[in-house]
Amino acid sequence: MLRFILQRALYAVPLIFVIIVAMFTLLHLIPGDPVQALVGDYPVPAAYRAAIEEKYHLNDPFLLQVGNYLASVLQGDFGFSYQNQRPVLGLILERAPRTILLASVGFAFAIPLGMAIGVVAGTTRNPATDKFWTTSALIAYAIPTFWLGQLLVMLFALRLGWFPTQGIGPLVSRAHGLDWLLEKARYLALPVLAFAIHEGMRFARIMRASVIDTLSQGYIITARSKGLSRGQIIRRHILRNSSLPLVTIAGYAFGSALSGAVLLETVFTWPGLGLLMVDSIRLRDNLTVVGVVIFSALAVILMNLVVDILYALLDPRIRTAG
Amino acid sequence: MRSSTRASGQRGERIVTRLLTPLARPTILGRWYNTAANLMGTRHGAIGAAILLVLAAIAIAAPFLAPYTPLQQTSQSLAAPSRDYLFGTDNIGRDVFSLILYGARSSLLVGLGAALAALLVGGTIGILAGYFRGPVEAVLMRVIELFQTLPVIMLVLCAVALFGSSFWLLIAAVALAIWPMEARLVYGQYIKLREREFIAAARVADLSTFHIIFREILPNAVQPVIVQVALDASIAILIEAGLGFLGLSDPSMVSWGQLLFVAQDYMESAWWMSVFPGAAICLTVIGLNLFADGLNEVVDPRSTRGMGGLQ
Repeated sequence: MLRFILQRALYAVPLIFVIIVAMFTLLHLIPGDPVQALVGDYPVPAAYRAAIEEKYHLNDPFLLQVGNYLASVLQGDFGFSYQNQRPVLGLILERAPRTILLASVGFAFAIPLGMAIGVVAGTTRNPATDKFWTTSALIAYAIPTFWLGQLLVMLFALRLGWFPTQGIGPLVSRAHGLDWLLEKARYLALPVLAFAIHEGMRFARIMRASVIDTLSQGYIITARSKGLSRGQIIRRHILRNSSLPLVTIAGYAFGSALSGAVLLETVFTWPGLGLLMVDSIRLRDNLTVVGVVIFSALAVILMNLVVDILYALLDPRIRTAG
Repeated sequence: MRSSTRASGQRGERIVTRLLTPLARPTILGRWYNTAANLMGTRHGAIGAAILLVLAAIAIAAPFLAPYTPLQQTSQSLAAPSRDYLFGTDNIGRDVFSLILYGARSSLLVGLGAALAALLVGGTIGILAGYFRGPVEAVLMRVIELFQTLPVIMLVLCAVALFGSSFWLLIAAVALAIWPMEARLVYGQYIKLREREFIAAARVADLSTFHIIFREILPNAVQPVIVQVALDASIAILIEAGLGFLGLSDPSMVSWGQLLFVAQDYMESAWWMSVFPGAAICLTVIGLNLFADGLNEVVDPRSTRGMGGLQ
């Protein structure tokens, strides 16, 4: 097992290098003055220009520059955001927990929703029920999350006034305990709803396919012939065996959740990593843009590593195969 | 070519009457005709194809159908939907209905362009990895995995942010996000087909590698790939809309995503600025997904559910 983990971890290392080098190369490909490209649309004083040139060794050969950038990123130095007057890493660390909060609450709703719909659609004897859910999934999946977000805001926040239209709530809140939780929940409700509908329907499609696959297995026939009830078969055999693909997909969906966060956070002005990225793009704060991309990529690689290990723990066949 | 009658007739339902009749002894062109005919026999395929045809017609004929040009500013801004302005007007007085008609061009062009570009890149890489195996396969598969695990939309955003968003760059950026899916599928097809007897026979007959790859394997591998292209086009359209929504689409073209970007600031006063462009995106994506569903049913009739649930 330890060998498997080490093997997986080692496999992640070249990925990380490739990403950082690729992002730096991308920065380098921007036509024009490299200092300006790093700093963004901001007048650069001569002293600062010299400092940047020295820090990133802009007058050295390209390979040496890449090496230097790599070294500083690995030490957690993503550079300094001129627009925000702060180190990029500090900005990222401030924003990341909010995105993680949104995504994890979203998943907490999306996974049970997807599993429930998948099991219902997969096991039903009524073709109309199956058709209803598959069609709903098809339509729900075609709705762009950001448009769904706009619709939810217009209906539940602007028309009905049940929820706030945007933001994360007051930074310093006077509410305590349960009240504080409720206050946060009000701000979370709409973004989480949009997220859960979209991702949940995706999970439902996967779960349905997996359930139908499980139904054709011999042990389901055995279970039926030994007289188990429908509910018992679903609970004991179908649910467990069909969930495995969902575990992996949900784990890997973390990456797409980070990507989706860019759009969702923009609709709800949720100040997470995605919004930081969009704002930095608008301000041409390139060091921050690249920093967010590298940070997200690292987070995804780490998450995939965790999923691989979890999966190997759940299913011993994978360990021995590698 | 299997007839779709078996696939859709399994549960005794034939909602759409057959518009075209498949030929009994098809020529090469006839085979395409037969696929189309069978597709029209599936319910999803027929609806999807109808939606796409209407959208394509709208995109082509936009100047004739639209009551106003996309740049024309009417005297009323933020006017609610009425007989004069079917979908209302936007913040600077442009007719939303006309904008949506013109927006079909950008969405369809970028969507299809990106899907085809992804097919070209992903297909080539998939063929190389699947046919030649060995170290080529190892390296290319790592690259594919890299792109599949990364938060690719962020990468796309980054590319567009750094290099600007011209029409061609948008296509390239969106293709960047979807090519790994094509590559994987083509790879799977080639790895499976290259072991078949007729390929061994082709090798014995001393046919060139080029001939084997393109004349022997490709025709047999192409069907599921076409389904994937349709699905990818729908994803491409969603990504293009997303970029537009972030204000990163080609500023010289009207696009549905861009309309939603502007609508974000007027949600309180002008719901029509958001509802109609979003519905247009949805309709296009649904059309493509239905089309792909129908195509899949024709190409692989076994994929439709035959078990009838848990008894």
